[in-house]
Amino acid sequence: MSRVHQRGRARIEANLTPMIDMTFLLIVFFVLVSQITEIEVVKLDLPRPTRAATQPLPDEQRSVINVLPGEDGAVQGYRVNAMDFPATVEGVEAMTAYLVRLYEARPDLNINLRADRSTDFRWVQPAMTAATTASGIAAGIQDRTNPRTRINLVVIKEQNDDGT
Amino acid sequence: MGPDRSIITAHAGPGSTERWSSPGRRSRPRMSLNLTPMIDVVFQLLIYFLVCTNFARGEQIYKLDLPQRGTAPTQADPFQLDDEPLRIQVLSLGSEPGDYRLRLEGPWPRVADFQQLYEFLEQRVISSDNPTGLFAPDHPIVIEPAGSTSWGHAVGAFNASVRAGYNNITFAETN
Repeated sequence: MSRVHQRGRARIEANLTPMIDMTFLLIVFFVLVSQITEIEVVKLDLPRPTRAATQPLPDEQRSVINVLPGEDGAVQGYRVNAMDFPATVEGVEAMTAYLVRLYEARPDLNINLRADRSTDFRWVQPAMTAATTASGIAAGIQDRTNPRTRINLVVIKEQNDDGT
Repeated sequence: MGPDRSIITAHAGPGSTERWSSPGRRSRPRMSLNLTPMIDVVFQLLIYFLVCTNFARGEQIYKLDLPQRGTAPTQADPFQLDDEPLRIQVLSLGSEPGDYRLRLEGPWPRVADFQQLYEFLEQRVISSDNPTGLFAPDHPIVIEPAGSTSWGHAVGAFNASVRAGYNNITFAETN
């Protein structure tokens, strides 16, 4: 019998190391992303305008103001990134001071405003006022060439019957 | 006698396997790690996070440019007349999506809902299709929600204005 025939059957083995590497990377990614989204994206019933003429969320530097809903159109407070502020005059002033620091660090900062559709406008407006005041104060320190504040109003875009 | 019959496989413990050839010709034991349980667990974790992760699904934005507060106004052209803004009052009558009332300030026809508001605005915007329109796309439009107006209704009026082709829309401050 030749040597060739004395060898055992060929063993086919899959190298699983790259797959395990990729899987662990995916897990780390999802762990990090889920923590970030929990901070920024508070669960809200956002407005769903019919035939919304909206734009996709831009990939740019931005902070998120969440108007935390309460009962009967009132609010519990405001959350900017991971910071909570009460819905009082002092709370809005503190939020403004926090936003000033953000605008000073990033003058091109955009604000994403997320509010529940059942929230009264009187509670949403202080968030806009805080942003415009903060950007005005920060621009007063740096420059006055851009007298406007960009705020992105976040809504849910639903598919219409015609696919638009 | 085939070579396979003489091979004896023994499990020395969990995760390791020792192999010999025939008892007389003992070779070195081969140690190997059983990765199957780890892969099982890793895939379970992966599926868990895929299911639990809630991205901002379906969220989109309107861009709203508001004037900064507390800064001196920029130098304006002294000969330029200010456009009188078109003011749209929005009042919520209830919590349902259709429970609202719209009112246009000025000598304009009554609009019953956001679709009629859109049609009113769209018919009067100056564009290549409508060169005899009344308002330029940058004509100021001010949405005036009452304090008790729900945010959803305020955004509905804003959406009708954006849909109609206007790009200078702001919210008025409530008293």
